[in-house]
Amino acid sequence: MHDAQSPNVPAPDMPASDTAARFLRLPSVAERKLGPDYTVPVRLDPRILDQMQQTIRDLTEKYAETLKAQVGSLFSFVELAGMGDADARSQLYAMAHEVRGLAGTFGYPIIGRFAHSLCSYIEGYRAIDASVMRFHIEAMYDALKQGGGDELLADETLASLERLTAVTHVDGERSVG
Amino acid sequence: MTKDELFAKLKVLIVDDSAEMRNLLVALLQSMGFAEIFCAASGEAGLRVFCDESPDLIITDGSMRPMDGYEMTRRVRAGDCHGGENCGNRDVPVLMISGHVGDDIVRLARDTGVTDYIVKPVTAETLYESILSAVSRPIHIVETGSYRGPSPKRRLVPRISGETLSE
Repeated sequence: MHDAQSPNVPAPDMPASDTAARFLRLPSVAERKLGPDYTVPVRLDPRILDQMQQTIRDLTEKYAETLKAQVGSLFSFVELAGMGDADARSQLYAMAHEVRGLAGTFGYPIIGRFAHSLCSYIEGYRAIDASVMRFHIEAMYDALKQGGGDELLADETLASLERLTAVTHVDGERSVG
Repeated sequence: MTKDELFAKLKVLIVDDSAEMRNLLVALLQSMGFAEIFCAASGEAGLRVFCDESPDLIITDGSMRPMDGYEMTRRVRAGDCHGGENCGNRDVPVLMISGHVGDDIVRLARDTGVTDYIVKPVTAETLYESILSAVSRPIHIVETGSYRGPSPKRRLVPRISGETLSE
């Protein structure tokens, strides 16, 4: 470990009272591996970027099948989750969370947005309504059937889902009214 | 020396509870030229691999059970990774990939010592930029009695794909 500088002088962004703070500038990982002559590249290497994008394209077809199966599975948890079953709620959230994280990468950003909305809904309320969840999943399913969905329609649908959530949950404690 | 030759010398640890996400990241890192890629499905398992392999870079999810990516990062920085014994480089760059973009959660990531924060969905370009930045720039560390890591007072700006956000 190289300790390039270790002054006992607080930097401007540290609390004045923390006089024991030390500020270290360590060599980069690249410098440690390749030596001190390593220079930071000024831009991304287009060849590597192309390879990465090709990797995503190669995985997209397989992911489309996975996504279809996941959206289908979401339906199976809705009723139980809506009745307060903690395990169903947890499984539904985990699957929606996975869709939220990956759909956009593989060219399904609208489905990712619906999944995000569903996750936010589950995170935000102790008691969750089956109809609200079903609408979210149906929106995902429709977008999937359309090959990804329409941006304008998605905006309208998400706005409708927000209104539906507000109507369904009438009290201020974020629980089903 | 090209960048893929650099990546070929680096060990990276991926920590994510989603098998799909791990598979995607492994495939992307392989296409970048990383030769040694290790995976773990929770923060706890991640700490074990961290101790065993001493990676040059960690890419982690935030929300995981039983131990999440925040606690894992805190313990890496604290040198408390495995039974109280620090076996890896506690100054290792840690990239967090998360579906959450709220201020509170980004602040938590910063305070526990996360180097860079990428918001899902991740794109090839965002991931590449973040990795390159993490491994090619000098590592600035603040050390106090109770903390060692990237400055907890810095502004950590989440990287959102399609937007140019950098510190």
